[in-house]
Amino acid sequence: MAEGWRGIRVTIPSDVRYLEPLRTMIQETAVLAGLGRDAVAEVELAVTEGCANVIRHVYSNSERERIDLVFTFSDDIYEVRIDDYGTFVDPARIKSRPLDEVRPGGLGVHLMQKVMDEVSYTKNRWGGTSLTMRKRLARPAKGPRKDRRGP
Amino acid sequence: MTIQVKREKVGEATVVSVGGSVDIYSSPELRGELKVALDGKVPRLVIDMGGVAFVDSSGLATLIEALQKVQGYAGKLLLCNLSAKVLGVFQLANLDHIFQIRETREAALKG
Repeated sequence: MAEGWRGIRVTIPSDVRYLEPLRTMIQETAVLAGLGRDAVAEVELAVTEGCANVIRHVYSNSERERIDLVFTFSDDIYEVRIDDYGTFVDPARIKSRPLDEVRPGGLGVHLMQKVMDEVSYTKNRWGGTSLTMRKRLARPAKGPRKDRRGP
Repeated sequence: MTIQVKREKVGEATVVSVGGSVDIYSSPELRGELKVALDGKVPRLVIDMGGVAFVDSSGLATLIEALQKVQGYAGKLLLCNLSAKVLGVFQLANLDHIFQIRETREAALKG
C-alpha cells in the first residue's frame, strides 16, 4: 500500500452470517472515513448487495470461499473494492430487473447503482471479479461563518 | 442483531412484528413466519417493521412474495412503522407505491 494510504482491508468467508458484522465495521469506521449518517446507510446497503451477489452467483452459496474487501478513505471519495476468486463475470450480464416488473429478486444491482456514484467490474489478477464502488463525499461548504460580523 | 419475528392475532388481522436486520441471512426466518399466516389465508396481514434497522434486496423479495400471495387470495397486506432508513430502501426500488404503507400499527389495522 502507498504511504499515507487510509482505509481498511477485510477478508471474510463467503458466509452470509458475516454480512452483519461487516455492516457494523462500516458504521464503526464512518467517522474515520468521513461518512455522514445517510451515506453510512447507503454504503452498508451497497456492500451487503455486492457481497450477497458474490456468495449467491459466483460461489453458488458455498460458505467455504473467500471475499476480500478493501475500503479506501480519501477526502473526497469513499471507495470499496470487493474481490472474489471465482470465474470472471461479463459485466454486460450483470443486470437489474426492470422496476415495473414487480417480482421477487433482481434488485441488488439496481440498489448498488442507486446509492453509489460509480459501480464498475473488472477482471482481477486471480481470474475473478473485482467490483469497485465509489461514493463522493459531501463536505460542509467552506466560507465565512454566519455568526461573524463583516469588517 | 439478526432478526426477531413475532406473530399475533389482532381481531381479524394477523400482525407480524419484525426487528433487527432483514437480509440475505435472516429473511428465510421472516418468510417462514409469513408462510404460516399466508397458508391460513388471513384476510389482513400487517407487518410492523418498527424494529427493523436494515433491509436489503432479499428482505424486499420476501415481502414482495408475501404481497403476491395475499393478492392471490384477495387479501390485504399492509406495512407500518418503517424508519426513514428502511422506507428509503423501498423508495429506491419504487416499492413505496406498490405496498400499502402506514405510519402506525393502528392505521394499518384500520386499513
